[in-house]
Amino acid sequence: MKSLLMIPMMLVLAFAVGGCATQGDLEKVQSQQMLTDAKADQAAQEAQAAKAASDAAALKAEDAATRAENALKMAEEREKVANEKAKKADAIFQKSMKK
Amino acid sequence: MYRIIELLSLSNTLRLVALSVVILALNGCAAMKGIHEEDQLIQGENVERNEFSVAKGDDVIGRLWTIRLEKGDTLPDIARHFSLGINEVSATNPGVDIWVPATGERIILPLSFILPDAPRKGIVINLAAMRLFQFKGDGTSLAVLTYPVGVGTEERPSPTGQMLVERKVTRPTWHVPASIAMDHRKKGDILPAAILPGPQNPLGEYALYLSKPSYLIHGTNKPASIGLRATNGCIRLYPEDIKKLYGRTPVKTPVRIVNQPYLLGKSKGVVYMEVHAPLENLDATEFDRTYAKLRSIEKESGRPLDWNRVKKALAEASGIPVPIYETGQGRGKEGADPLEVRHPSALNGIPKIPELKSDAWSVLAADVRDRVDAVRLSTIINHQGPPIPARVLAKNDRYRVVAGPFDDIREAKDAIKRLKIDLELDGKLIEPANKNNSMERR
Repeated sequence: MKSLLMIPMMLVLAFAVGGCATQGDLEKVQSQQMLTDAKADQAAQEAQAAKAASDAAALKAEDAATRAENALKMAEEREKVANEKAKKADAIFQKSMKK
Repeated sequence: MYRIIELLSLSNTLRLVALSVVILALNGCAAMKGIHEEDQLIQGENVERNEFSVAKGDDVIGRLWTIRLEKGDTLPDIARHFSLGINEVSATNPGVDIWVPATGERIILPLSFILPDAPRKGIVINLAAMRLFQFKGDGTSLAVLTYPVGVGTEERPSPTGQMLVERKVTRPTWHVPASIAMDHRKKGDILPAAILPGPQNPLGEYALYLSKPSYLIHGTNKPASIGLRATNGCIRLYPEDIKKLYGRTPVKTPVRIVNQPYLLGKSKGVVYMEVHAPLENLDATEFDRTYAKLRSIEKESGRPLDWNRVKKALAEASGIPVPIYETGQGRGKEGADPLEVRHPSALNGIPKIPELKSDAWSVLAADVRDRVDAVRLSTIINHQGPPIPARVLAKNDRYRVVAGPFDDIREAKDAIKRLKIDLELDGKLIEPANKNNSMERR
């Protein structure tokens, strides 16, 4: 009988001890969650920063491309102007060769 | 054992020496090749420009050459040296700046021509090609002399047809036609009724008067106009070319003037096509005639022509004979790659530019920011007829084109007038540094 009583007592103890462990785990989980949250926040911030940097780089690249395009256009324009000037000079020269 | 090692080491040393000798020898070969190639360049005087023999059954004469441009070269100077017109050099070398070409650039000298489709007798002038051919000899041996020419403008085109040399005159006087006097008057240039022989005379030193009244084959005081449509219908030659033509042309020589932009000819089994940019007054029948000829060649041979080459020749209008068809008998001139000619130490007829003198008058022709513009302008001024000496002077970040020196104020003012009338430039008179001395010299 005594031993039979021991069984539920042991079970209660085990449950109590088990309950205590759950509480600790909960706290642990909560702290881990906090850590994860913090990490997630950090990752989000980093991602945002990375996106901002990537956006900035994209803008910069676009700007560089635009500038390169403009430089090319300007070079083409200069060449066109130079060709036109050469043609104009040659037309005047040809006129000057008449009797 | 020691001896074996010694022998091995000696053998390695020998190998090293042998290898070095081989490398040096190869280097030597490369260097020698360079020297050899330099030696192989043809001297300018050995390039045939004007006189060619015509093989029986052949219609193509001459060959293509190349030359590497040097600093200060202009295409009109190169053209004149090799007795080519500026039209020919420009058409064969599209994209090359006429007045300021890049130093070191290699250009083609198109000294290859298809003879015009006309009887090979006397003088034949092809207006579209801006080239004169003079035939000498009989049916057994035929020689042709050829010179580039300047022809009539769109407003006053050169006539076509059969005529003959009626008379020959050295140091001709130019009696200014009323229409030309009027044109000049409109520009503020009053011409006298007649211009006596001398540097102002546009006829130059020799003239062949044609049976068609008012038309001449003559020299020029504007050599840079050869290869341009710049005359009032006459045919102009370089001064050195008219001298030769004059000496070899008797009175009564038949002269046929044709206008053939599309030329076909055979040489050693190859059919060539030479296309020139047609003059505006040409009707479509000329091309129809050429097309019919091409079809006939195709039909006779029973093999298709390379129509892509024909199309390319028509589109490029390079003025050089291009192979369009091989009959299989030979490769003709198609296989003859252009040879490189050594740049002459001095080009014939290049304008002389005397040094500026502080005690002489000069003219500021232009003040520009771009060096190339300044160089172009100064060379154009130098190539006027008669020439006006001009050079570029750099001043800070600008470039001045200064014409002169002029002996007196009258000469300088005359240059200002010519710059205005001919080149639309507003020249400014620059007084001599010591004006009193200059006044005395007047």
